[in-house]
Formats: sequence, structure tokens, C-alpha cells
Amino acid sequence: MSDEQTLAVEVVGIEQVTPLIKHFKLAPVGGGALPVFSGGSHIIVVMRGERVHKNPYSLLGSPSELDTYEIGVRRMEESRGGSHFMHDRVVVGSRLEIAHPVNLFGLDKIARKHVLIAGGIGITPFLAQLEDLHGGSVPYELHYSVRSHEHAAFLERLRRREGDRLHMYYDSEGQLIPFETLLADQPLGTHVYVCGPAGMIKHVIATAQSCGWPDSHIHWEQFSAPPVGDAFEVFLARSNLTVHVPPDQSLLESIEAAGVEVPYLCRGGVCGFCHTRVLELDGELVHNDHFLSDADKAKGKSIMPCVSRAQCKRLVLDL
Amino acid sequence: MLVTGIKSKPVYAPLQADTRGRYHLMLGMGVGAAPLLRVIAEMRSAAAQSLKQTRVLYVPDTGGGAGIDEFRAAAVADVRLFDGTPALLEKFRATLSESLMGTRLYVAGPESFIGLVMKIALEFNLNKDEIRAEECGTLARRIYCIHCRATTEQVRTNIVRCVGCARWLLVRDHYSRRLAAYMGVMVDAEAPGELPPVKEVFL
Repeated sequence: MSDEQTLAVEVVGIEQVTPLIKHFKLAPVGGGALPVFSGGSHIIVVMRGERVHKNPYSLLGSPSELDTYEIGVRRMEESRGGSHFMHDRVVVGSRLEIAHPVNLFGLDKIARKHVLIAGGIGITPFLAQLEDLHGGSVPYELHYSVRSHEHAAFLERLRRREGDRLHMYYDSEGQLIPFETLLADQPLGTHVYVCGPAGMIKHVIATAQSCGWPDSHIHWEQFSAPPVGDAFEVFLARSNLTVHVPPDQSLLESIEAAGVEVPYLCRGGVCGFCHTRVLELDGELVHNDHFLSDADKAKGKSIMPCVSRAQCKRLVLDL
Repeated sequence: MLVTGIKSKPVYAPLQADTRGRYHLMLGMGVGAAPLLRVIAEMRSAAAQSLKQTRVLYVPDTGGGAGIDEFRAAAVADVRLFDGTPALLEKFRATLSESLMGTRLYVAGPESFIGLVMKIALEFNLNKDEIRAEECGTLARRIYCIHCRATTEQVRTNIVRCVGCARWLLVRDHYSRRLAAYMGVMVDAEAPGELPPVKEVFL
């Protein structure tokens, strides 16, 4: 994705909705309408601080209102800088660049029922999906789990509109989503969607499968932040360039900083767009993506540079 | 006018038990009993408890079919026999409306039978990973007339006269899952009365 494809936006509203989550409203610089999107879409926000950060955030506003985009950003304790930038440096009037919306977490259009499961900041893609579901004829229910009452972001908005379709669970009160009973008793043609912490997603997938759900009815989204790792060197064969990857910078970011473009959509290990061929390797790949199968990861012939790294002396990529 | 080599023509594979499912619904017609009995035997050795959650809906039809005793002997308790496909489909629809996620569908019989079952399964949003189908028996087709929308059943020839509008239709491989039928297109529109040789091809 090149810079010409980004849109310039201005921050027109910021609200601290929980101790950790800020809600941002972004309007196009110079007015006009933003590109259309469907519920579940995300944008990449480009932040130019000391370093460039490009983070994916789900759009949480209504797909029918295109004068502003809304995103929710959780302050990550172990941030590599992106969420801290959004929380500490961005103010009303700040200008940012964003990439066009992409949907990797859309609703199944012919489902007979939708079961939505959110953990914490994982509520954001559902807020836009609910705009599509609300007032439709397909039944749905939302199960939303948060740490405690003060961490329940966007709760008033949800309560007002969803009524008894909203089921709240507070960790602080020992309330857990009853995954087994929930998934064992759904009518044929139901789809389940989960967005939240990695453990929750894994648990929902495993429980659904043990209840006999086929994979085509299980949907999940989790954007991984690129984990910190050891520094290593990568040689880009087609560009004839050697690039140093420091511990706190991703492989993709390092390659981009060297002036080589790699196609991407999510930068979170989900979409598969940055899939790159590994030509030579004298160590181990550290796969952190959700795209490659376990078998492909074991083969070591390809890597998703947005979140994955290597522990090696020499890595050669087909770039 | 492309007749063959069309991707919408369904592809079938031999039935196999999918023991990841919790409930197993089997539908068969005529010689379709044999593949179903084969899956049941497979389940009995791999995951016998699955048989308690197995239901069979079956149309014996003439020639090569099985009886209720053969299913009972295979240790499936819930077997229902039907006089014809419409009665089976009615029961099938009622069963799906009460079924839960975790159900797997096994269909065995002539393609026209499979198509009618699939059409209903589609309405309940069953996906490819929930349905297995094995084709056996006649290849006779259901033909949907794209001109008058009538469906001609049991078509064995490459060209057929439409039961609705009496046009001569060329039978294509273009298949509609929603209609459970192959498309029939008027064959002599350019030169009325000039028909290519009519051959029996779907036996």
C-alpha cells in the first residue's frame, strides 16, 4: 500500500470512554464523505511520530454515516508506541493518514442467526455490525465480557439499542460467558463471531468445534501487535538489499523503512496479503500470524512479515 | 452454446462418516441405501455413540433398495421410510427446523434426489462442510425451462420437449442449486424445427 492510497483525516472528537479506551472521531480533511464500508471493517491508521506506526483499528460507527469514521483505541501496557501515540499525542485537530477500509470480519449474509461474542476492546467491530443487524429480520444476540463495570466501553449505546439481546459478563463479579451451553444449543444455520483476547478466541473456536460446529460457521478476528524479538538481518534478493531488523521493529516496518514496498491490508497477521517467500534460512522462523496453517509454518517456506520474525544469522526473502 | 465443461455442475464424492459432528441426519433413495449403510458401519467401528444421534429418512423406491430391517440390523434406532420423495422432503424440512448446530447431513441417491435435498439444506444455511453427498442410481435430470420456468422431471435425453411450453430444450450442464435443476434452453430458436439428433445420455 503506497502513500497515495491513504486519506488525510482530522481528529474532530476524542472521548475517554473507559480508563484504558479512547474513542476517536475522524473527518476527511477538506470535508466530503469518507469511503463506504460494511460492518466489521478496519482501517489502518498511519501515525508519524519519531517512528512511523501503522495500526489496524475496527470502524465502530454506523456504515450509513460517512461524514466521520469512529475508532476505539485501547492503551496497551506493552505498546510498541502506536496506542501510546494515539492516547498521548493525538488531540482534537490532529491530522492523521488512514488507509481505505477493508473487511476481514464480515457477517454471513445468509445466516439464520448470529451469536456475537466480545471481550473488552473486541466490542468495536460488533458496534458497526450491530448497525446492520438492528432492525433486520435475522435474530442475533451479543455476549460482552469486560473486566469490571468501569471497563465496559460503549455500554450505554448498546443498552439503549439492544435491550435484552445484550448479555453482560463482569470478570470482577466472577461472571463468565457459558460458552458450552451457549454453543451446544443453537439452531441450524447459526454463525458465531468472536473478537477479544487470544485466549477467549481460542476457547470459543475449540468449544464450537467440540459441539460439532463446522469451521465455515465460526468467525473470529484478532489483530496481533508485532511481538518484540531478537534483532536479525534480512537480505532482500530481488532488491539486492540487506536490512537490519531491530528488536522492537517488525520485519515489515524494517523493510518499508528501507524503501521496499510490501502489499498489506491488516498488518496484524490475519489477511495474508503480505505473504512472502523465504528463499534461504539458517535458523528458525518465529511465526506469529493467524493466516498460515501449522503445516505451512512448519515448512518454513513462507512468512508474514507484519507480525513474524526470525531467529537466525541469515534470512533471504523473495522481495 | 456451452453445454459441458460448466463449473456449476455439482461434483460428488463417496460418503464418509464425519464424527466431529454431534448429530447425523441421513437421507437416501433406492440404491442410496448402500452408501448410507457403509457410513453407519464406519461409525459403529469409529464412534459407536454417534449412532444414538443418527436418524435415517429413506425412500425405498423400486430396484436395488434396502428395507427397514437392514437399517435396524445396523443398529440405527431412528429409521423412517417414505412412499416418495415429497413426503421425505416434508419430514426433512421439519427435522431441520428443529435441528441444532453440530448436525451433519449425508445424502445418497440419484442426482435429482440429492439436488432436492440440497435445495432445502441451502435454505437452512448448511454449508459444504456440513453436507456430504454420494450420487448413485439414475443420472436423469430435472430441467428448468429458462423460457417458461416449468421443470421437466426425469430427463434422459440431450434434447427434451418442455412440459410447460412445449419448446424443444437443449439440456446444459449449467446447474442451479437454488432451483435444484439444470438449465434447458430452446434449441431451435434460430431455425425452427431443425433439431440435432436426440440421444439418451443421462442413464
